[in-house]
Amino acid sequence: MLTGIGGQGVQLAAQVIARAATLEGRGVMFFGVYGGMMRGGNTDSTVVVSDGTLDAPPIIAKTWSAIAMHHEFWEPTRAKLRDGAVLLVNSTLFEAEIDRDRYRVFEVPVTTLAATTVGNLLAASMVMTGAYVAITGLVGLESAVEAMRGSIPSYRQQHIEMNERAIRLGHESVEALAAPAWQSTGAPV
Amino acid sequence: MEGSEAIAEAAVVAGCRFFAGYPMTPFTEVLEHFAVKLPKVGGVCINAESELEAVGMAWGAVATGNRAATGSTGQGLSLMQESFSEITMAELPIVLFNIARGQYDYYQSTRGGGHGDYRQIVLAPMDVTEAVEHCQLAFWLAEKWRNPVLFMGDYLLTHTYEAVEVTEIDYGPVPDKPWAVDGSSSGTLDAKLVSSLGFDKVGRPHVGPQAHWLRLAEKWAVMREQEQRSETAFCDDAEVIVVAFGTLAKFVRYVVKELRAEGHRVGYVRPITLWPFPEPAVAAAASGSHVRTVAVLENNAGQMIDDVRLSVLGRCPVVAIGGISTDGSGFGMGALLDPAVVRERILSALEPVSA
Repeated sequence: MLTGIGGQGVQLAAQVIARAATLEGRGVMFFGVYGGMMRGGNTDSTVVVSDGTLDAPPIIAKTWSAIAMHHEFWEPTRAKLRDGAVLLVNSTLFEAEIDRDRYRVFEVPVTTLAATTVGNLLAASMVMTGAYVAITGLVGLESAVEAMRGSIPSYRQQHIEMNERAIRLGHESVEALAAPAWQSTGAPV
Repeated sequence: MEGSEAIAEAAVVAGCRFFAGYPMTPFTEVLEHFAVKLPKVGGVCINAESELEAVGMAWGAVATGNRAATGSTGQGLSLMQESFSEITMAELPIVLFNIARGQYDYYQSTRGGGHGDYRQIVLAPMDVTEAVEHCQLAFWLAEKWRNPVLFMGDYLLTHTYEAVEVTEIDYGPVPDKPWAVDGSSSGTLDAKLVSSLGFDKVGRPHVGPQAHWLRLAEKWAVMREQEQRSETAFCDDAEVIVVAFGTLAKFVRYVVKELRAEGHRVGYVRPITLWPFPEPAVAAAASGSHVRTVAVLENNAGQMIDDVRLSVLGRCPVVAIGGISTDGSGFGMGALLDPAVVRERILSALEPVSA
């Protein structure tokens, strides 16, 4: 599950992860909810990935992992974290309390990285996508980049190069496979 | 592909060449995708000035023999009901999309809010994959029966992305359309009239309302027999039968499978056509020797439960385990749409009744 504030790129990040998993032949479903406001409202998204066909509905009871771009609307996502869930937090902005004994928390200052190294803080969710992909190995880095290209609408093509840099930066800035999504057999963890 | 895009794509693949609608959440994206896709295949999509204009335009388009559709949320379809009555009585094969808020439009879809004796087939897909199929089925059934078909979706269906491929499904041949007001006389050397009353042009022989309406009632009786669709699972030795439709039924299938694996004796019936309602399928499931309760899970105050009661006919108690569940916007995306909540509701129906 992914949560944040409208405008942070939460829906795009979810779409990139979902599309990348589709490219890798997984069973995938993706559902996003966002408030009426373009920016500033609640936004969250659920991506369901399976090694086979999917029976699950697009809204799930518990999640294996989550991305929190901001704490403002994060409570419904927190309530669905499994014990031991993998949690990636945008440490630039996230200020809520987290039970660190209960979850595997990875703090990544993605807004700072986007603003400084990438040069545009709007790329924060793509930095986070790169970090998530590296930590979990849910999909490969190249699949994520290709999925991003396929997810950007025709009138925003000028951002593709920057987004690619953002994904690769996020990928480099964390420890690879620190919390793998798949077992060595290929089955989900 | 997003559900709304898959629906528009499937409609185009099914030969739909005209769409008119007026934006309203959660239907708006369906209209947007029609607006992108139809011009590319020589079709027309019009963002009408209102729902009344939209249905009027689609009515005209379908009367020319083209495959045409309109749609909205239930709120918008409320405004179109008078036209639906007339279109149905005039036997025009229009396809209607209700991208509903929650499941609050079950009555509207299955009973209709218009005047007169009329019936329309209602298809309620549970996910995007099935929506692609139903969308094409809707256009085929409409022409097969010369009758409107309503496609029932919701926020969850149209806003979920699934990996689907939209390929053409061949359901078989459909009747010719000598009635089509397409500029030809179909060999009669005379103008045509598509009438809801069984009339024809002045001075020409016609059957009139009595014979016309009687024939339509007979047609609906046959449709009621032949077009029921449903899915039944795990009902053989079940103590509780859950009945649910649409996207909520997807949650029920998932949870019932889980509960079965844990040893609970629970099964489900999923009506796929809401009209005709699969009465024999529900009755058969409720007739199992172990059945204690039929539990109806719907996201409204209790609408489909009437049809379930009419199917069960007192064989066992019928209880509601759903209810109104919405978000702050009223789009029907409430707490009920959670496998954990659905699980609790079904478990509550499984608890032995205290003496």
